[in-house]
Amino acid sequence: MVGIMNPVSREKLASLSNSVKFATDLGPKLELCRQLKRDLLEEDAAALSEFLSHIFDLYSDPSGPVRKLATEIIGEIGVKHLEFVPEIAPFLITVLEDATPAVARQSISCSIDLFRHTLEKTAIQGLHSSELDSDLESSWSWMLKLKEKIYSIAFQPGSGGVKLVALKFVEAVILLYTPNPNGSSEPPPNEGTPIEFNISWLHGRHPFLNVGDLSIEASQRLVLLLDQLRFPTVKSLTTSVIVVLINSLSAIAKKRPAYYGRILPVLLSLDPPSFVIKEVHVYGANNALKNALLSCLQCSHPSAAPWRDRLLGALKDMEAGGLAEVALNQVHKVNGSVEDEKDHSSVIKEEKPMTKACDAAGSNVGRKRSGTEDSSGLAETGDVSGKRVRSTPSVSEESTKELNRNTSMSQGDISSAQSTTRKVDVDTGPVQQLVAMFGALVAQGEKAVGSLGILISSISADLLAEVVMANMRNLPPTHSHTDADDELLEDMCIVGSNTQAKYPPSFLVDVVSLSSTFPPIAALLNSQQSVPNEIVKTEVGEEVDVMAGPNSTVAYAGMAHEAENALLPGMEKIDVPTPSDIQDVGNLESGIPGLDSSFHYDGLSDAQAASSLVSTDLEDTSQEQGTSFGGKSPLHVLPSISIERSEELSPKAAVNDSSGVVSSTATSVVSSHPFVLPKMSAPVVNLSDDQKDDVQKLAYIRIIEAYKQIAVAGGSQVRSSLLAYLGVELPSELDLHKLLRDHILSDYINHEGHELTLRVLYRLFGEAEEESDFFSCTTAASAYETFLLAVAETLRDTFPPSDKSLSKLLGEAPCLPKSVLNLLECLCSPGISEKAEESQSGDRVTQGLSTVWSLILLRPPIRDVCLKIALQSAVHHLEEVRMKAIRLVANKLYPLPSISQQIEDFAREMLLSAVNIDAAEITDAEGLIIESHKDSELEKPSHEHQSVSSTGKDISAIFHQSETSQSGSSPSVPEAQRCMSLYFALCTKKHSLFGQIFIVYSSASKAVKQAIHRHIPILVRTMGLSSDLLEIISDPPTGSENLLMQVLQTLTEGTVPSAELIFTIKKLFDSKLKDVEILVPVLPFLPGDEVLLLFPYLVNLPLDKFQAALTRLLQGSSQSGPVLSPAEVLIAIHGIDPERDGIPLKKVTDACNACFEQRHIFTQQILAKVLNQLVEQIPLPLLFMRTVLQAIGAFPGLVGFIMEILSRLVSKQIWKYPKLWVGFLKCAFLTKPQSFSVLLQLPPPQLENALNRTAALKAPLVAHASQENIRTSLPRSVLAVLGLSPESQPSSQVQTSQAHTGDTNNSEKDAVAEISKESSGAS
Amino acid sequence: MKFRYAMVCSSNQNRSMEAHCLLKKQGFDVSSYGTGTHVKLPGPSLREPNVYEFGTPYKHMFDDLRRKDPELYKRNGILPMLKRNLSVKLAPQRWQDNAADGYFDIVFTFEEKVFDMVLEDLHNRDQVLLKSVLVINLEVKDNHEEAAVGARLALDLCEQIEAVESWEDSVDDILICFENKHRRKLLYSISFY
Repeated sequence: MVGIMNPVSREKLASLSNSVKFATDLGPKLELCRQLKRDLLEEDAAALSEFLSHIFDLYSDPSGPVRKLATEIIGEIGVKHLEFVPEIAPFLITVLEDATPAVARQSISCSIDLFRHTLEKTAIQGLHSSELDSDLESSWSWMLKLKEKIYSIAFQPGSGGVKLVALKFVEAVILLYTPNPNGSSEPPPNEGTPIEFNISWLHGRHPFLNVGDLSIEASQRLVLLLDQLRFPTVKSLTTSVIVVLINSLSAIAKKRPAYYGRILPVLLSLDPPSFVIKEVHVYGANNALKNALLSCLQCSHPSAAPWRDRLLGALKDMEAGGLAEVALNQVHKVNGSVEDEKDHSSVIKEEKPMTKACDAAGSNVGRKRSGTEDSSGLAETGDVSGKRVRSTPSVSEESTKELNRNTSMSQGDISSAQSTTRKVDVDTGPVQQLVAMFGALVAQGEKAVGSLGILISSISADLLAEVVMANMRNLPPTHSHTDADDELLEDMCIVGSNTQAKYPPSFLVDVVSLSSTFPPIAALLNSQQSVPNEIVKTEVGEEVDVMAGPNSTVAYAGMAHEAENALLPGMEKIDVPTPSDIQDVGNLESGIPGLDSSFHYDGLSDAQAASSLVSTDLEDTSQEQGTSFGGKSPLHVLPSISIERSEELSPKAAVNDSSGVVSSTATSVVSSHPFVLPKMSAPVVNLSDDQKDDVQKLAYIRIIEAYKQIAVAGGSQVRSSLLAYLGVELPSELDLHKLLRDHILSDYINHEGHELTLRVLYRLFGEAEEESDFFSCTTAASAYETFLLAVAETLRDTFPPSDKSLSKLLGEAPCLPKSVLNLLECLCSPGISEKAEESQSGDRVTQGLSTVWSLILLRPPIRDVCLKIALQSAVHHLEEVRMKAIRLVANKLYPLPSISQQIEDFAREMLLSAVNIDAAEITDAEGLIIESHKDSELEKPSHEHQSVSSTGKDISAIFHQSETSQSGSSPSVPEAQRCMSLYFALCTKKHSLFGQIFIVYSSASKAVKQAIHRHIPILVRTMGLSSDLLEIISDPPTGSENLLMQVLQTLTEGTVPSAELIFTIKKLFDSKLKDVEILVPVLPFLPGDEVLLLFPYLVNLPLDKFQAALTRLLQGSSQSGPVLSPAEVLIAIHGIDPERDGIPLKKVTDACNACFEQRHIFTQQILAKVLNQLVEQIPLPLLFMRTVLQAIGAFPGLVGFIMEILSRLVSKQIWKYPKLWVGFLKCAFLTKPQSFSVLLQLPPPQLENALNRTAALKAPLVAHASQENIRTSLPRSVLAVLGLSPESQPSSQVQTSQAHTGDTNNSEKDAVAEISKESSGAS
Repeated sequence: MKFRYAMVCSSNQNRSMEAHCLLKKQGFDVSSYGTGTHVKLPGPSLREPNVYEFGTPYKHMFDDLRRKDPELYKRNGILPMLKRNLSVKLAPQRWQDNAADGYFDIVFTFEEKVFDMVLEDLHNRDQVLLKSVLVINLEVKDNHEEAAVGARLALDLCEQIEAVESWEDSVDDILICFENKHRRKLLYSISFY
C-alpha cells in the first residue's frame, strides 16, 4: 500500500521510516527499507534535508542488514545531493567503526562514490571559477577526513574483511589522483557528460587542488601499498589481503604505466611460497601474481616495454610461459598493426604450423637445450637482443629494435606454437626431448649411428610411435620424400661443407631415409645451414652483433617459409601469396639502413660459395640416393602415403621451398633447382573436404593392408602402436576406427588383435580421460565404447566358447562401459534380452561366467556389477545355466570374504521371495532385490522390467494352477527351485545358513516345500552332520517337522548315526517334539528295551509309517543286527493295552495285520513261537484269538499246532473270556474237522453253548462223534449235548437247535466272511 | 540466503548447470554462466561438435539433437543433461555479457582457464562500487560424473560460506578447512565490482 503513493509526501515518508523502525521481522523490514530508498531518491534536496535525520536514526537499528541498507541509502543520497556531504561524511566515519564488517564495508563503498563525485565537482568548479562555494569546500574537507580514516583502516595491520575494501579504496584514490594517460587531458566541454574524470584536467589552475600534491600523495600511498607486500610485512598478511594487494597493484600498474617501475620490482620479487604462512594457499597467491604479471605484460605503454623480458622470465619460472607468449603476441599484434602490418601478418600466419621444426632449430640456437629449457633459451636470446639494442645506440636504433622485435616475436611464435601442440598432444614433453635428441644424434653424423640404434632400441614402442607421430603431424604431408630428398641434398651439402669427405654414401642414405621419416630433423639439418654461421658470427665479436640481428631475422624468415610449407596442407591455405613473402624478406634485408650490409652479403656469399662447391660434388651421390630411396620406400609405409597427396600439393610447396632457400642462401639454390623443377609442372588441385577425407581414408586402408603383410616380418610391436595411434589421431569422421576394427577382427590372432585393440583402447581412453573439454571427452568415450563393444561382440560370435580372448580383453581393457557389461550379462543369462536366442549353448554361459569370475578377481572397482551378473545367472530359469552359475558363485566366489556377505544376502532374499506365495509379493521382492543390487546401475531398465514381470506372470499362472488342482507337482516347483538353488548351494558351504530353510519351510507353499524336499537329500548328504546342523536339529521351528524328518532320514540312511545325533533326537523327542516319528530313522540304533518302551507310540503312527518303522526295527543296523526279533515285535504288539496306552484298538490290529503281511519275516515258525508264548500269558492278550485266526488264514499248515493251542485254551477255560471265546469258536469252525476233537474236550455246557452259537458245527460234529471209536470215548454228558444219548428228547433239542441254526448260520457266514476278508487282505 | 552465487564453466551446460541445479534446489540465490564464445556440445565426432550461440534455449538444443540422433545423444548423456538444464533455466548465458544481472558475492568456476577469464573480465569492468566478489576455482573434470561430484562439493562450500557473517573475514579458514576435508585444491581470488 505504500508503493502506490506517488508522488510521496513527507508525511508518508515519515510514516514509512517509522514503520521501518518499528517493524520487527527482518524480512519485511528490509523490504520497507528498500521501498523507502526508492521513494527517497525521488525526493528533492529540500525534502531530503528535513528527512536526513530520520534515516540517520535508522542506523541505530540493531540488525546489521538494516544498518547496511541505511548506510547505502545515505550514500546514494550523498552522491545525488553533494550538498549533504558535510552531514553524511561524519556519519560514514562513524559507520566505519561499525561492529558488523559488512556495514563498515558498505560505508567504504559509499565513500568512494562520494569521494569521486565530490572530487569531480570540486575540480570542475575550480576550473570554471577561481572561487569555490564554501559548501563544496567543506564537503571536500570532510571527504578528506573520511579518506584519511579509511586509509588508516587500510594500513593498520589485520582488520580483516574491511581492510580488503579499504585497500581497494586506496587503489581508487591513487587512480583518481594520478593522470590517466589514455584519458582525455581536457575536461569535457559541458558539465555532466559521462566521461571518466581525469586529474590532468586541472593543469595546475585550481584554487586548492594541486596536481602535484595529489600526485605526491598518490605516490606515498602507493609506497605504503607496496610496503605491505615487502618482506617481512607480507608475512603477517592473510592470503586474501595479498591477493587483493596484488590485484590492485597490477591494476594501478596497468592503468598508470608511470608507476610500472615502482610496482613491478615489488611484484617480481614476490615469492609466494616464502611468504604465505598458511601454505595451502600459496597456490592462490601464486595464481593472482601470475595473472597480475600477465596483465602487466599485456600493457602496451612504452614505459612497460623494458620490463617485458623480466616479466617473461618470471612467468616462465612460474610455468606460465605459454600464456606469456600468447600475451606477448597480442602485444606484438597491436604494435605490429601499427608499425609493420605486412611483416606481421606473415609471421602471425605461421603461428600454428611453426612447431617442432622451429623449436628444434630454436633449441639449436640456444646450444641444444632440452625441450623444457627451450623457453628459457629463447628468453636468453631475447636478452641478447636487448643488449644489442643498448650496445649499439646507432641512428638506426629504431629499426634495429624493430627487427629485434621481429626476431623475438618469431621466437615467441615458435614457443607458443609449441605450447599449443603440447596441449594437443597427450604428453609430448618427453617426445619433444626425444625428437631433439634424435636431431642432435643425426647431426653428429656417422659416429652417432651406434647411439642412435641404442636410443631407438631402448625406448618403448609406444613412445617411439609417438615420436614418429609427433613428426608426422608437424611436418607434413607436403614433404613428399622426393621433395625432402631434394632439400636434404642441399642440407647435406651444407652440413657436409666442413666434413663432407668423411661421410660414406651409405650413411648419407641412412640419414636421408631417417630424416624423411623425421621431418623435423630434416628441418633441423636445414636450419643448421643458416644458423651455425650466424652463431659463429655472434660469437666472433660485439660489433658483429648488429649485423647478426638482421642475419638471424633472415634465418628465421627462411624457417618461416618452411613452416609455411608445413602449413599449406594443414591449414588449407594454398593461396598464400608466397611471392610477397619473398619480397618481404627482401624488404627486410634492404630495409636496414646504416648497417654493414656489404659485410652481411659477404657472409652469405661465403656460404653460398661453399655450398655450391659441395653440391656439384654430390650430384652423383644424390642420384644414387634417389634411386636407393625409391627402393626402400615400400618399407616406409608412412612416406608412401604422402605420395598420393603430395602429387597435388607438393608443387606449391616446392615453389615455396625453393624460394625460401633463395632468400636464405642466395645462389646456392640455383644449383638445386634442376631437381625441383620437374615437379613444378604438376597441376595444383584444390581438394574438397570430402576428397581429402577419401584420400586419408584410402591411405589408411593402404597402411592397414600393408600391416597384413608385415605381420610376418616381425617388429609388429612397434608398428602396431603406430597403427593404433594413426587410427585414433586422424579425424574421426573418416570412421577409421571401423577400418581398424575390421582389420583387427578379420584375423584376431594373427594380427595381434588383442595387443592392437588394447593399444587403440588405451589411446581412446586416454583421450576421454584427459582434462580436455566436454565434447571431446564425450566423443572419445563414445568411440571407446563402440570400439570395445564391437570387438567384444565379434569375439563372442566368432570364437569358440573355450577361447579366452574375450576374457583377456575385458580383463585388460582400461575400463568397461555399461554396454559391455550388458553384453556379458546376456552371455551369462541367455534370454535376458533376446528371447529368440534360446539356442545359445551352455558353453557360452560357461565362457561368460568364467569371464565374470576373472573380472571379479581382476577388477575390484566393477566387482559389484560383475557379481550382480553372476547372481542373476544363478537364479536363471534354465537349470543348466543356473547350475553353472551356482557352481561358480558357491565354489569360487562365496569363499571370497569381500563379497560373501553380498552373495548371502542375495540368496536369502531370493529364498524369501520364493516363499511368498502371493505372486504379487514375489514380484515385489524380486524387484527389491534387483533394485538393491542395482545400486549405481541404471542400465537397461526395460529388460530388467521385462524379465521381472514375465517371471511374475509365470508365478501367478502357477499359483492359479496349484489352486485349482491340488496335485503335488504344481509347475511352480521349478520356479521355487530357481529361486532356492543358490541358497541351498551356499548352505553346503556355510551350514548355519541351513537354519533359515527350516524357518522358511513352515510358511512355505506346497510347491516350495516340494522343491525343498527334492533338494534335501543331496544337500544334507553333502553337508554331513556338523555341529551347526545338530544345533538346528536340536531346536527346529514349529511346522518344520516334515523337513526335520527328511533331514534325519537322509542323515541316517546307509550310515550309523553318531551318538550325538541320537542323543539330540532323543532329547528333542523327550522335550519338545513328542512325535515318535522323528525317532524312526534312528530306531535301529536304539537299544531293544528302549524301543519296546516306545512301541505303543510306534503302533500309534499312521500305518505306512509304522510299517517303515517296523522294517527298520527288524532290519536293524548293519553293525548290531536287528533291534527286535519278529517274535518280539508281535509279542510287543499283543502287549499293548488299548485302554491303558490310549491307543485305538484299530491301530493295534492294523499293526498286527502289517506284520502278517510280511510273511517272509513272520514265518510259520515265528508265529508258532509267538502263539506259544502268548498262550501262556495271563490274562490272554486281547487280540490272541484274532492272531490265531490270522495265523491259520496265513499258514494252513499250522492247523495241528493250532489244535494244540486250542486244547490248551480249553484247559485255560477260554469261555471265561467272552471276546476270546467268540474267536475260539470261529477258529474251531474254521478248522473243522480237525477242531472236533478239541470241541469234544469242552465241558458239556460250553460245548452246548458252542454248538448253539455255531449251529453249523453241530451236524458235522455229531457225525464225527457218531463214529464208533469216538463215541465210546465221549462221556455221556457230551453225548447228551450232541443228542447222541438215547435218553435225550431229540424233538425239543432239535427244535431249539433248529431255532439256533439260523443264528449260527448267520454267524458262521460272518465268520467266514471275516476270515476271507482278512486272508484276502493278507494275501 | 545472504549471498548471490554464480556458477561458471565454459559452456554453461554441464558443470555449472549441475551446480546451479543443485544449489537452486537447496534454495540458494544462484545463477550460472559460461565463458566460452559459443556453446559447444559433443557431436557425432570430434570435428563436428554441435555449436550454438549463448542464449539458444536448452529446449531448442534438446529438440535439435533429438532430431539428429536420439540414440547417440541419449547414450552420451547429452539429452538427459539438456533435459535437466531446461528445467533449471531457459538458455545458457555468457559470463562476459552478464553485467545486467547485478552483482554476485561468490563466483564459482570449475576450471582454471574459466577462473582466469572471469577474473580478467572482472578486472576489465569499471570497478567503481568497491563491492567485493569472491571468485573460487574448484577444478572439476568435464564429464557427467565429475560434474555431479563437483556440484556437491560446491554446495558444501557454499553452505560453509553462507554460515559465516561475512566471507571477507574468514575466507582463508573456510577454504583451508574445505581443502583438508575434501582433499581438493582450491584457487581463489578477490575482485571488486
